Amino acid sequence: MALLDAISKDMIKVPLAAADRDGVISELVSLFADARGLSAERKKEIEDLVASREHLGSTAMENGIAIPHAKVDGLDKAYVIIGISRLPVAFGDPAGNGTRVFFLVLAPSDNPTEHIQILASIAKACSSQLFMRMLLSSKTKDDVYNLFFE
Amino acid sequence: MMKVPFRHMLVYLDGSEGSMNALMYAILLAKSTGASLSALYVVNTKAIGDLVRSRIFIDQERTEFLSDLQKDARRHLRHAERLAASKDLDITTATVEGSPHHAVLDYMKSHDVDLLVLGSINVIRSRRDELTGENDRMLRTSPCPVVVVRGEDDIWAEFEEV
Repeated sequence: MALLDAISKDMIKVPLAAADRDGVISELVSLFADARGLSAERKKEIEDLVASREHLGSTAMENGIAIPHAKVDGLDKAYVIIGISRLPVAFGDPAGNGTRVFFLVLAPSDNPTEHIQILASIAKACSSQLFMRMLLSSKTKDDVYNLFFE
Repeated sequence: MMKVPFRHMLVYLDGSEGSMNALMYAILLAKSTGASLSALYVVNTKAIGDLVRSRIFIDQERTEFLSDLQKDARRHLRHAERLAASKDLDITTATVEGSPHHAVLDYMKSHDVDLLVLGSINVIRSRRDELTGENDRMLRTSPCPVVVVRGEDDIWAEFEEV
C-alpha cells in the first residue's frame, strides 16, 4: 500500500489548534475518530497508544516535522492524519526549535510492512527542502492535499 | 507444454493482497509453461535503519519490527508453499534483507531469473519521485521482462478452477 492510499482530505487539519504535545496527539486522533465515526472509548484507546509510544522517545525531527505512530488492532488499512500548526509546538525535537508539521500514522498491527513503507515514504518526501517549504506555507487542507496529489 | 521465452520466474511477495494475487498468477503460469518458480520476501532492513537514524523509530521498535517482518516473511512464504503444493508445483522460497528493489534485482541476477511477476503497480497520482513505491522501482529497473498482475477476482476464480 502506498502513502497516497492512506491520505484523505477529511484527515488533514490546517491550522491545528493545540499548543502542546498531548494536545496535538489528541487533536489528530480526534480528526481520525470523527472521520471514521469511532466511539469515545476507541478514540481514547488510540490516543493512549500514540501518547505511550511518543513518551518512549519523540518522533520529532530537526526539520520541523514529527511522525507519531502506533500499531492499532482491528484497522482495515493504514491511515495518515496530517496537521500543520501555525506556531512551533514543543514536541521533543533535538534542536528544541519546535515542530509545525505532524503526520500521525495509524497502521494495522498485523501488517508491519505497510507500517514501515508509509513511515519511510513520509520521511523521504519530507527530506526535500522544496516539499517542506511548500508544506509549511500551506494555508488550507486543500493546499496540503494537492501537494501530494499534484 | 508450450515453448516459452522464460525458464525461471520470480514472484516478489510483500504481504499485500496484490502480491498474493501475483503469486497465484505465477503458480498458474509456471504450471502451464513448465518454468521454475521462486518466491522472494525482502525484510526491509534499509527502511528500518533509515527510520532509526531519523529518530522516527527507537531501538526497541527496530528489534520489534525486525521480528515482525521476519514472522511476516515466514507466514507468507509458507502460504506460497501451500498454494504451490495445492497445484502440485515445486516452488523455491527465500527471504533476504535489505532494500526491496535492490535485493530483488540482486536475487534475479544471481539466480538467472528471466521473468519477474509483480502485484499491482500504483496508479500514477503524483509526479513526486519521493512517493514512488518499491514495485514501481522494480518495474523500471528490472533487467528482464515483467508481468504486472491485475484483476483480483478473475485470478482467484481461475486459481480455484484449475
